[in-house]
Amino acid sequence: MFGKGLLKGLGITFKRMVGPNITEFYPEQKPTLPTRVRSSLALDRSKCISCNMCAMACPNKVIKLTSEKDENNKKVLKTYSMDVGRCLFCGMCTEACPTQAITVTQEYENSVYEPDELHWDMIARAERKGKEG
Amino acid sequence: METLNNLLQTLNNLFLIIAEAIRGLFADPHSVWANLTMDVINFIIVVVIVVLAALILILLERKIAGWTSQRTGPNRLGPRGWFQTIADALKLMGKEDVTPAGADKLIFKIAPMIIFCLPMMTLGVIPFGKGMAPLNLDLGIFYFVAISSISTLAFLMAGWGSNNKYSLLGAMRAVAQMVSYEIPLLFSLLGVVMITQSFNLGVIVEAQSRVPFIVLQPLAFVIFIIAGLAELNRAPFDLVEADQEVVAGPFTEYTGLRWGLFFLGEYGNMTAMAALAATVFLGGWQGPVFLPGYVWIFMKIGIVIFFMMWVRWTFPRIRIDHLMHLAWKVLLPLSILNIFLTGLGIYIYRLVMGG
Repeated sequence: MFGKGLLKGLGITFKRMVGPNITEFYPEQKPTLPTRVRSSLALDRSKCISCNMCAMACPNKVIKLTSEKDENNKKVLKTYSMDVGRCLFCGMCTEACPTQAITVTQEYENSVYEPDELHWDMIARAERKGKEG
Repeated sequence: METLNNLLQTLNNLFLIIAEAIRGLFADPHSVWANLTMDVINFIIVVVIVVLAALILILLERKIAGWTSQRTGPNRLGPRGWFQTIADALKLMGKEDVTPAGADKLIFKIAPMIIFCLPMMTLGVIPFGKGMAPLNLDLGIFYFVAISSISTLAFLMAGWGSNNKYSLLGAMRAVAQMVSYEIPLLFSLLGVVMITQSFNLGVIVEAQSRVPFIVLQPLAFVIFIIAGLAELNRAPFDLVEADQEVVAGPFTEYTGLRWGLFFLGEYGNMTAMAALAATVFLGGWQGPVFLPGYVWIFMKIGIVIFFMMWVRWTFPRIRIDHLMHLAWKVLLPLSILNIFLTGLGIYIYRLVMGG
């Protein structure tokens, strides 16, 4: 019949119209993210052995860390900074980490006002996180 | 039961009673001054209908666009976003009013006003209830079509006055499309005129007391809706504006409230066309259940408008050569066939009834 396709199209849009919306009201309601989302990184300072493997694995040279030796001649983490503006969130640092010190997290509200704020001091962040949590 | 009937009767004639009361204020209820007062009041009512329709429809269009694509549409201002039109209007008013250098200023400025005036003139002949036509013209349909075809001229004025070759080209396209589709639009109405033997919209509504003419003239109704959509330059026939492709054709050089007037005019014209469809084919203020006549007609207008928006957000835009083929090779022969069949039907009816 001529015009069958037109009627079918109208039917489909009407079904969509009366059906449920898929809008997420983001600022009021936080979305439920897929489990594989990689949107932030977190450091567990106590686990870190300052081996520098994360910095070596990073394709964009995001990670810079310094360490010093304690009385037992063991390396202790002193500073750990990430230039997140260059970070891909590829997660290769977490794969390289032998002690699971650096992990991928699902925090996603990472926007900042100043470019300088993109240099994350991971130790300070971890402490702040500990306080908040 | 008796009182309920009386109440419904009163509700049905509410506006007529109010009109009589206003006329009663004059010493002679049918003097020139009383008539003039009633004309002014009628005019104000029609203007209010057009403005309200435009305000509501702009929001409704966005809401329906949202619902069709599984969104919610505007949802920030007011309860569930129902006050969004206020923000839209304020935004348009706040914009700079630019008249391009070298534009034909008078024509440039007068074109959007003409577009916005037309629905006020055309809605004046629609009967909104029994004896409630603001203007009871004997040539109602004729007047309606004649006035609404002036919008073609306004589009051309907008394109010409802008002093912009793309605007002018857009206007030419608009004129070609609207002139082509006026013919099937008119011919689709002729079947109804043949049955009722009258151009008066009031008489046409009275004639539909038993069955609305959509039952007797289904083909004419389909042609009318298609040609009406094209005449209003609405999707899927919105090649003139075609937001995504040709930066709004004849409106390219317009800014702020002047552009907004085109927008409001489009919705006003849509209301007028829907009102004509409801009056001629869907039975106007007549309805199966006893509700006041004005409720029926506005319900029918709403249904037709909803259908137009539904169509807009369903179909992709038609190609320009297909557009012309559809008008001249499909709709025009079909509408002539409809006139022929209607004539044959009337002839057979008279032969059988011995009239």
